Amino acid sequence: MPFKTNSLLRVCLLACLVLSGFNLFAQKRITGKVISTTDKQPVVGATVQVKGGKTAVQTGVDGAFSIDAGDNSTLVISSVGFEKLEIPVSGRSVLGDISLGTANTALNEIVVTGYSAQKKKDITGSVAVVDVKSLRSVPGGNPEALLQGQASGVTVISSGVPGGGSNVRIRGITSFGNSDPLYIIDGVQVPNGLHDINSADIESIQVLKDAGSAAIYGVRGSNGVVIVTTRRGKAGKSTISYDGYIGTQRPAGGNPFDIANPTNTGLAIWREFANTPGVPLNSTNYKNSQFGYGATPVLYDYLTPINTNNGGANTDPSTYALYTNQITKTNKAGTDWYHAVFTPALQQSHTISGSGGNDRSTYYYSVGYYNQEGTLLNTYLRRYSARMNTTFQVKDHIRIGENAYVFYRQAPGLPGSSNQNEGNAISYTYRESPLVPVFDVMGNYAGSGVKGVGNPQNPYANLDRSRNNRVNDWSISGNVFGEVDFLKHFTVRTSFGGSVDNAYNTSFSYTQYENTENNTNPNTFLEASGYNSSRTWTNTLKYTNIWGDHSLSVIAGTEAINNYSRASQSTRSGYFLTNPANLTVDPALWTLNAGPAAGMTNSSTVGGVTYPFGSSLFSLFGRADYAFKDKYLLSGTIRRDGSSIFAQNVRYGTFESVTAGWRISREDFFKDVSWVNDLKLRGGWGKLGSLSNTSVTNQFTLFGQSAANSSYDIGGTSTSSQLGFYAYQAGNPFANWEKDKVVNVGLDGTIIQNKFDFSVEWYNKSVSGLLYNAPIQAAGYGDPINAFGNTGDVTNKGVDASVTYHGAAVGHELKFDITATFSTYKNKVVALANGVKYQDRVSGGSNRFGAFSRLQPGQPVGEFFGYQVIGLYQSQDDINKSPTDAAAGVGRFKYADVNHDGKISDSDRTFFGNPNPKFTAGLNLSASYKNFDFSAFFYTSIGNKVVNYVKYWTDFPQVWDAAMSNRAALQSFGMPGANGKTPILERTSTNDNALVFNSYYQENGSYLRCKQMQIGYSLPVGMIKKFGVDRFRVYIQAANLFTITKYDGLDPELQASNLNDNTNFGIDFGNYPGNQRSYNVGVQLSF
Amino acid sequence: MSLLKTKYKFIIPGLALLVIGYSCGNKFLTKPPLGQLQQSQLANEPGVKAMLIGAYSLLDGEGDQNQGNQYGSGASNWVYGSVCADDAYKGSTPSDQGDIVNLQIWATSTAANTYPNQRWIALYDGVSRSNDVIRTLAVATGVPAAEHGEIMAEARFLRGFYHLDATKIWGKVPYIDETITVAAGNLNKATNASLIWPQIEADFKFAMDSLLVTQTDIGRANKYAAEAFLAKCYMFEHRYSDALPLLNDLLTNGVNSAGKKYGFNPGGYFNNFNPDPSAKNSIESVFSVQMSVNDGSGTNGNYGDVLNFPNDGSGPGGCCGFDNPSINLANAYKTDATTGLPLFTTFNSDPSPIAAGATTVPLDPRIDFVMGRPGIPYLDWGLHPGALWVRDGSDGYFSPKKNVYAKSQKGVLSSNETSFWGPTQIDANNVNLIRYSDLLLWAAECEVEVGSPVNALTYVNMVRNRVATHPETWTYKNSTFNATTYTYSTTTTPADNYKISPYPAGSFTDKNYAIQAIRWERRLELAEEGHRFFDLARWNSDATYPLDMSQVLNTYSTTEKTRPSIYAAHPEASFHKGINEVFPVPQTQIDLENAKGTKVLSQNPGYN
Repeated sequence: MPFKTNSLLRVCLLACLVLSGFNLFAQKRITGKVISTTDKQPVVGATVQVKGGKTAVQTGVDGAFSIDAGDNSTLVISSVGFEKLEIPVSGRSVLGDISLGTANTALNEIVVTGYSAQKKKDITGSVAVVDVKSLRSVPGGNPEALLQGQASGVTVISSGVPGGGSNVRIRGITSFGNSDPLYIIDGVQVPNGLHDINSADIESIQVLKDAGSAAIYGVRGSNGVVIVTTRRGKAGKSTISYDGYIGTQRPAGGNPFDIANPTNTGLAIWREFANTPGVPLNSTNYKNSQFGYGATPVLYDYLTPINTNNGGANTDPSTYALYTNQITKTNKAGTDWYHAVFTPALQQSHTISGSGGNDRSTYYYSVGYYNQEGTLLNTYLRRYSARMNTTFQVKDHIRIGENAYVFYRQAPGLPGSSNQNEGNAISYTYRESPLVPVFDVMGNYAGSGVKGVGNPQNPYANLDRSRNNRVNDWSISGNVFGEVDFLKHFTVRTSFGGSVDNAYNTSFSYTQYENTENNTNPNTFLEASGYNSSRTWTNTLKYTNIWGDHSLSVIAGTEAINNYSRASQSTRSGYFLTNPANLTVDPALWTLNAGPAAGMTNSSTVGGVTYPFGSSLFSLFGRADYAFKDKYLLSGTIRRDGSSIFAQNVRYGTFESVTAGWRISREDFFKDVSWVNDLKLRGGWGKLGSLSNTSVTNQFTLFGQSAANSSYDIGGTSTSSQLGFYAYQAGNPFANWEKDKVVNVGLDGTIIQNKFDFSVEWYNKSVSGLLYNAPIQAAGYGDPINAFGNTGDVTNKGVDASVTYHGAAVGHELKFDITATFSTYKNKVVALANGVKYQDRVSGGSNRFGAFSRLQPGQPVGEFFGYQVIGLYQSQDDINKSPTDAAAGVGRFKYADVNHDGKISDSDRTFFGNPNPKFTAGLNLSASYKNFDFSAFFYTSIGNKVVNYVKYWTDFPQVWDAAMSNRAALQSFGMPGANGKTPILERTSTNDNALVFNSYYQENGSYLRCKQMQIGYSLPVGMIKKFGVDRFRVYIQAANLFTITKYDGLDPELQASNLNDNTNFGIDFGNYPGNQRSYNVGVQLSF
Repeated sequence: MSLLKTKYKFIIPGLALLVIGYSCGNKFLTKPPLGQLQQSQLANEPGVKAMLIGAYSLLDGEGDQNQGNQYGSGASNWVYGSVCADDAYKGSTPSDQGDIVNLQIWATSTAANTYPNQRWIALYDGVSRSNDVIRTLAVATGVPAAEHGEIMAEARFLRGFYHLDATKIWGKVPYIDETITVAAGNLNKATNASLIWPQIEADFKFAMDSLLVTQTDIGRANKYAAEAFLAKCYMFEHRYSDALPLLNDLLTNGVNSAGKKYGFNPGGYFNNFNPDPSAKNSIESVFSVQMSVNDGSGTNGNYGDVLNFPNDGSGPGGCCGFDNPSINLANAYKTDATTGLPLFTTFNSDPSPIAAGATTVPLDPRIDFVMGRPGIPYLDWGLHPGALWVRDGSDGYFSPKKNVYAKSQKGVLSSNETSFWGPTQIDANNVNLIRYSDLLLWAAECEVEVGSPVNALTYVNMVRNRVATHPETWTYKNSTFNATTYTYSTTTTPADNYKISPYPAGSFTDKNYAIQAIRWERRLELAEEGHRFFDLARWNSDATYPLDMSQVLNTYSTTEKTRPSIYAAHPEASFHKGINEVFPVPQTQIDLENAKGTKVLSQNPGYN
């Protein structure tokens, strides 16, 4: 490849070669100030050189320079990321503002890092800059979910729950508990993170991934740091903008869980008994209440009265009685439970913002309204938000300002139970029998109380009953700050901020008369409220100077953070029924006073968390960035954190990092490599810490009182108990920070006429002294819960990469950008507490199998553990030839004899699947042609194994007799359509079918998804200008247009049942699918 | 000059901010725990006494910190004592609580089964709470000497009890006293290398010597409760000559914690299972786990048996059809039409008493206190409807009855609270750990071995006559049920053909016969109270008169395989002699305790 000599390099070379000592005529001092064309901000560190001469200077913090040059000379001004500019002196001595045009490159982007800002080109740590425009293009109410695929090294797993949370992991799994990154919004830590931020307000997002960049956040930096800056006004013309869309989200069609129809269900039940010879029954040929007593199953007209046809006894509606004679017809066609609760849903988002300012003040205001109806009945997120960011230049050297964000949201989540739980309404859509209709003959809910259909609940009833339940949150967050510049190079800044969140919930649970279980439980009203407050006071002193070839920036500061939370909840039961026909209570009577006082409860434990609690953190920190000749970069940070959580003598931790960068492209020997515009090698080492999920009282041995756990009716009264105390927690005064050591090496480049930007990084992050509560050793240790101790080690190694291509065609009329991000990590548990060999972790979604995953040194976090299915026993001969297996049977699972002891036992359980993806990648396309624009975003996750727990309910009818899948009804062992995997239908539960967790449930969870695709059209400026409109763009969009996957379930993107537990994920309990298609129409308008 | 001014103007506040921030550090970072206490705050008389209540509160097996409420840890030991013996089936649908399946069919690859681990944790957490009382008492101030001794004695009684229950289930278990702590670094001393009877006995002896005879609270252990548990230890060790004097003392002088002499419940047999406070803790109760409802806890009622209710809202509870009495057990209540005595050899032939009048021979009336049978009154809930309540078509015919409550007691003695999914299955029924019949039947065993067969006969007949001579306490058709006395008001037509008679004088002179009769009587009298498996294991290890537990249970399961029972679908069900007499030590605990390289816990032979 022929290299063209880069003229800039040539100039540099010349400058170096020409020796000093020349005496040029008519030299004089020339001053000027270099500013950027785009934002009018000073360009710091630009090189100003006399053309053909040796003299070169660099611009200072204010962009100013002064250089000695002749009247007729020409100055060459260059800076990385800018177009080179030649400017003739023409006898002037004051050149004034010189605008430097930006090159088509991201290198000049100002990246907000810890407590300061840097140009992207100067960064030596690992910082991913999110393309906010692309992020905003995906519809959704939760920016943290929108991060998916937008930044390399960031893995995000979300669900379809409107307003639901996400698992956000930066560079692998660094904690067994919650590993959410630290979210800093406008310099202030916000406990709820990005969750409820209006994405239209976001100016920039950067993700600090390694210790080099995040160590300045010390103990909070271990899981990475997401730094968000919200929009501020700019001096100049005021603009008012509207940005909004409206659309519809469509649930999956067809038969998503592949549920068998009533006829095939009946036949399968008969087959079940035929395959279990000799099981006598306690009624004559009584196999299932609903299908009669004959040789073949029969579908009767009524489910209750059981086995009755039209006109039979007790079918007359006048004999109807909710408890004693609920009359329910058989849905012979089969109820489509999925679509009884999943229907198309409306979503809309509207933001109106105003911004502007002058040289003394700027402002940005916005109001937002977001309303996403979930496709699942009575799930929604409604959020009203407002932001007000202002800055005032009160004196030449003094700036003050504030950022404030307030929102009010209503989002009930998934009523009754969290997402990814076998007991929620979604799960009941695959559990409830298709024989059962939604309503009985009188319009009341029908359900499993009809007998013979297991114990599921009517999902429509559960959701419909929740329609008046409210979960309200409101929150204010932000900060006020003041900055003073002094002595030319110094800036002192103080910022006081934080957040106050309030939550208020009311919910009513009704007597579920239609169910087979617990159908007489009293109705109950619950009212709960609580608040969290967080205050942060940050003070920094900053020094910036550029002299000669040197550029130095130093910042030192202190930070104090204080958190406090309280909450309580009360319940009463047995409310007077205002509608006895269906046992409901008028919502107007949903107050505590309207319920009987007997049996009322109150508690400071709300949602499993015991309030109140408080914690504090005090820190000192410093950072220095040094650059020599814009070529050698060196940076160091240090932070000393003290936390109230740890005992006094182990309270403090120091976290430091060092990074260095080498801009190879500026070296002489690179001068001929003209296809490389910029190339930087960087690397770093540093330490991070984490408090992880440690309780704020971790250091204390605590005694508590609990009515349920330690009170006892010593007096034999039957209805009262005496107060008792018990050791509640075995404190750990020695526990302190989790310590991460991170090594990071990266290569950033801009090549081929700035057309390609790339960045590739390798890291090794080893976490030692992982904080978690070791399992209890019952004998000798006893009842108290172990406090968190530093008892585990985990490593994550990985590669993050991103590449962008800026292209143009058709005479530069068609412009396009393609960005790909790539993330891969390998996670491994290195050690557990006190030499413990393993720890089984039971999922929050179900404990019917015990644990799905096991933590064990040498294995990744979350790896599935159980029996490995190697096939089905084909015959008795096959059984005889196989290792001894007490539970063996023809058509049952055959397991691998992992320990080769000739028999199948608990000790043959093994690791068989890793839910961590081999890699994830995002692909962002954007193009514009004349007034049209197009964008698309694809995301893929490859190599992640998932567990389809739904099959426990649908493929093994002996489990509960409720709904079953076509796999079981038509494709099980011994049937004409057998798939070779689904075991024989039978009435027995053994280790070789339904009793234990095995690899039958595991599937390949790889997928490729088109997250969004849109076409927009901007009205020609000429046309709209006369209406005073600057911009008017309309677009149509499809989100989740397609997902390519082999997975049998609804959606292979499976978040954890408990978002605070990283050891159980990739398990499908009936996940609220996040891959539902939506179609939107949007408008962007500004004037 | 102005430059200097500017300098100070800004540097000083800047430095001041830094200094202020730094100096407030330590005070700022000291946050005492909110809403929770530390040991120093409890090291006084009321504190230690309240900790003792906390130690009592784990008698129900529920509410420990590490497991919370579990079906496998309940005080009644229904899984281990009843379901794994010949008293009951697991119940519900085949996979529901699947862990029990492998226990019930006596599989040997069950070390990882979560159920025994639930019980292990609950019992050792009980030990831990007892030791916490003892340790805190040692540093407490202001505890009067008399109180000191009483608190210590109650704590050691509880510690003895928890260890005794563990020994019953697993055989060799570690003994943990107050000196074994994490801080002392001696956890590895607590091995399960040998049986710990001497240590358990020492606790009960201390308790027996120190406890008050009469307690202000009926639920507290008294001197005689400790003596009864010491006798129980001796029974398990086959030390009949040591047990007999204790039992004689108990039968002669023993009083309950209210100071009333032990005897039969004046309200009749079934009244022992009445959640009414006036019926509970009668003179028949030697020591019981106290259950309470609607006390603000949600789960202080009989949570351990929460699954063991008819699976339908037309009965008590509403879920879940577990612990269904076996057909074998029902048959055991058949009596000889002439003698009114059990049919030791022929009892298990069909027809079974699956409904009123289904058998050609009469029945011991106790059958209808033990199990709900189709067509027989189920307290005041109407007639037992059979399959509707049994839940699964292949799961016998019967529902448990001793743990339920009367319809008229619903909401008062059953829970109204909502902190739990099935409040209607939480009731105030105590679990009787030792009742008067236990003492009599142990004494009968001892008398046969080391005393007088005549006395043995007397004791057995006392147990039988309590029912035989009180037909007014039996079950009657078409009658209202009196929930205060747990009897039927109209005593016109008995619900079935009942007949029960005492053993004739002199019939115990044949030792074999006497022992068979006593053991049979224990089964009938204490059925579905969680004792059966442990009695079988105890007799199995009795060198002088062994009973082959494997033979009893394999005979049982072989027959049940031909009946609507879970065994029919499990042809592989087989009791492994020399293995299944004890349960597997939870693998989780073995792995935890042996993690540091010392072999602290060993698995019971034959399990993996």
